Amino acid sequence: MIKNALSAALAVVLGAGVAFAGNTPAPKNSEVYIIWPKDGQVIHGGKFWLRMGNRGAGMAPAGVKKDNTGHHHLIIDAPLPPFDEEIPADKNHLHFGGGQTEVRIELPPGKHTLQLLMGDHEHVPHNPPLFSKRITVTVPK
Amino acid sequence: MRVSLISALAGFVLALVPVTGEAPALAGDTPAPKDAYLYIGWPNDGEIVRNRRFRVWFGLRNFGIAPSGIKKKNTGHHHLIIDAPLPPLDEEIPADKNHLHFGAGQSEAIIELAPGKHTLQLIMGDHDHVPHNPPIISKKITITVR
Repeated sequence: MIKNALSAALAVVLGAGVAFAGNTPAPKNSEVYIIWPKDGQVIHGGKFWLRMGNRGAGMAPAGVKKDNTGHHHLIIDAPLPPFDEEIPADKNHLHFGGGQTEVRIELPPGKHTLQLLMGDHEHVPHNPPLFSKRITVTVPK
Repeated sequence: MRVSLISALAGFVLALVPVTGEAPALAGDTPAPKDAYLYIGWPNDGEIVRNRRFRVWFGLRNFGIAPSGIKKKNTGHHHLIIDAPLPPLDEEIPADKNHLHFGAGQSEAIIELAPGKHTLQLIMGDHDHVPHNPPIISKKITITVR
């Protein structure tokens, strides 16, 4: 009886958990990370090439549905968006639907946060979602 | 006499034109932007690598990655050439131990090399594994595996 109640509770918890991610299974053993800049990097001038790193998964342009692929999204100065819907497209959420792995960025003076989040063919995060560590960079005045 | 010499010369120059015209045959049919830039992010040229198994980063600017078989403008997939010269630029890149294909759209790879000197070079291939026009090729680097 207790066992059943526990599994029911577990099922509810797990069931709820699934709703917080998209429908596309994430590639196994994959990891998304920012190759450059490093966490804490000071960037004079604020202009740089950001290198997007990905282990275990492949890049595919937006609209292309293929197992174990996705495309990068760069989140600037914003928290992670909801995982069960399309990643917003605005100045804080840059989409790389062309399958890019690098981007030229220009940031104003101050502290900024950068984080990568993979999206599937429809710009929705995978299940489980694949996102990098959030890093902070500083552009001196 | 002089006129015929000039016309002979002109004929010679004209004869060169078709030769120049054939130059595009040394690349595939898929166009690429002139500013597409391919490079090996790591290791660096001249690097001494202290582990036989190591990660190679594929650097690519102003261009995107698509898995093989996907035809989309301004995309392609990486090929890593190990200890070999560039293959012909107008046909499918060979697939063997000297020419590794990353048709799943990867942007880095772990490779294992025997101790000694090795050369590494990247070349993009289109949906059919044929280099673009103009071909997108990285600098060829030399590393030493200890």
